[in-house]
Amino acid sequence: MQAIEAFLTGRIWIRQFIPFPQELVQQAINQGNAIVLNGISADGQCARCLEKSPDYVIPYACASCEAVCRYCRTCIKMGRISSCTELVVWRTPSTVNAGLRTFGWTGDLTPLQESASKAISKSIRERKDHLLYAVCGAGKTEILFSPIHEALQKGLRICVAAPRTDVILELSPRFKQAFPDTTIHTLYGDSPEQSGYGEIILATTHQLYRFHEAFDLLFVDEADAFPYSLDPSLERAVKKASKPSAPIIYISATPPKTLQKRITGQSTIFRRYHGAPLPVPVYRAMWNYERQIRKGNLPLPLKRWIEDKLQKQQPFLLFFPSIQLIDQVCPLLHKVDSRIESVHSKDPQRKEKVMQLREGMLAGLATSTILERGITIPHLQVAVIGSDHRVFDRAALIQIAGRVGRSAKDPTGEVVFFHNGITRQMDAARQEILFYNKEGRV
Amino acid sequence: MNCCLCDQALRFVPSWRGIFLYEAPELLCQPCRNEFSKTTQQGCKFCGKEGEAICHDCHYWEEHGYRELIHSGKSLYRYNDAMKDWFHQYKFLKDVLLARVFAKDIREALVNERAMVVPIPLNNEKLRERSFSQVDELLLAAGIPYCHLLEKCGETLGEKTRQERMATKQLFHLNGEAVPKQLVLVDDLYTTGTTMRQAAKTLQEAGAESIRILTLIRA
Ligand SMILES: [Zn+2]
Ligand SMILES: [Zn+2]
Ligand SMILES: [Zn+2]
Ligand SMILES: [Zn+2]
Repeated sequence: MQAIEAFLTGRIWIRQFIPFPQELVQQAINQGNAIVLNGISADGQCARCLEKSPDYVIPYACASCEAVCRYCRTCIKMGRISSCTELVVWRTPSTVNAGLRTFGWTGDLTPLQESASKAISKSIRERKDHLLYAVCGAGKTEILFSPIHEALQKGLRICVAAPRTDVILELSPRFKQAFPDTTIHTLYGDSPEQSGYGEIILATTHQLYRFHEAFDLLFVDEADAFPYSLDPSLERAVKKASKPSAPIIYISATPPKTLQKRITGQSTIFRRYHGAPLPVPVYRAMWNYERQIRKGNLPLPLKRWIEDKLQKQQPFLLFFPSIQLIDQVCPLLHKVDSRIESVHSKDPQRKEKVMQLREGMLAGLATSTILERGITIPHLQVAVIGSDHRVFDRAALIQIAGRVGRSAKDPTGEVVFFHNGITRQMDAARQEILFYNKEGRV
Repeated sequence: MNCCLCDQALRFVPSWRGIFLYEAPELLCQPCRNEFSKTTQQGCKFCGKEGEAICHDCHYWEEHGYRELIHSGKSLYRYNDAMKDWFHQYKFLKDVLLARVFAKDIREALVNERAMVVPIPLNNEKLRERSFSQVDELLLAAGIPYCHLLEKCGETLGEKTRQERMATKQLFHLNGEAVPKQLVLVDDLYTTGTTMRQAAKTLQEAGAESIRILTLIRA
């Protein structure tokens, strides 16, 4: 396969940003291998993300083409597309890369994992969608390896999409180990360029905008998570990136009811891979915590909780509802122990700080909701400060609780909801965890 | 309609002002709006930088051959994190809609202006590449009439160091329109003041007597 074909197959790319000489691009177009599309169609739809709402496709007087142009705001972070932008799509179908592939994963599956894995393989063979409804710590990734290996050997092009970069970065080394002779691309916001034809694409959901009928099989991880459930454009992106007949496998610990109803092929795992039950959240009242923190006082129940963890040398995460509150609480936490750091979504040192917590160089981390997924830290303890705040919905609280007790060596741990009053979301989360534990008991 | 920065749904609060006087619809949610920080309007009389009556940069210009070239000036906002994000999305991601975010502020600053409003231009190559002139769009969104008097020469300041910027010789030439005695130069971001001093010098040599400046942001 030519390098330009390997790059462009299944992709939709702004012409001037294709990393090949323009003559080569022109040649591909002349030979009919690639076609050029207008960035925004005549009726006002973005060709890359399929946005067509006039709230997001905005007309303006364009000085490049000296006419009234429209540009798309929905996918603007990936390089702006306007009516006069040329997009290139590869047209010639690629030859299927079937054949034997090394399978580098040697672990064992529990009987529950095994049967979910088989059910997914069956759905893929029948080209049907599937929902894997599994609790945090059920070992979801391992369940996927065998179905993916089977699909690879048939020459299918596979994508695993997740809403957050953290999750994708954590999946990447595990996939490279499991499929050592397969070309795997890892795509996120500012990921480095990766050469060749990616047979497995690990991508944040937003990156799917850049694909066009590319995948024969698509996994949507964390199918409940923000922003996926709130953003219809990402739903469109999933459909557009996959070939019309491609099965889509949804994976979620808290699937929305709509998904549960829509998909007939389902597997459920309410037991963690190590068999121990999920830690059940404990409620603890902490009135006026916001005002106390604003005034420079660390609320006593929280202070005691932290001191207890410090004394036991257990790493902990403190979840706060806003970055503002984190900024206010940070100096107060430093007074208790200088090894408590804070981290938020825009922090460039996010990865390093999480690693430091894992390695014991930090005692604890105060964080906004962004860290709730994709991290596993042995002996971790968790407190949610202000669990009654609206950012902590049922799904978020379940995910946060799911950070605790993931390792087989120490499957226990505390999850405390410090609150200003119990909300329905808190109760729903707790009920659901109790339900999993009841269902998961053998 | 959602907030054009964070995409949260906007809550529409009708006001008597909005009903009786035409007021452009708000584009930002309150939390996003609160992130921006206005200058106190007490500070450098030439550029509006907060602090001393004549800032370090302007002091340099006053001492190095540009004395009283600029009569006075102000800037409206600080260059904080929210403003850096806005500026990046507006100028480099080319999100033209964001010109409307500060329409009200720019309108208030210039609506009673009797002198001619003159935007700092882009050179033609840059203009075609960016597809819009960011200063013109700010004024258009604010409904302020303006007139171009200048054309930008080939050089751009973007990649230059501070010293190189301040030593740049000529950035602009006249476009042939008649230059009035009084005018207000408008730019988006004031960094060292090189752009403004160069533009003012070209206009002064062409007969302008009182030149004031307005920038949206003082870095
Ligand atoms: Zn778009
Ligand atoms: Zn155009
Ligand atoms: Zn907002
Ligand atoms: Zn100054």
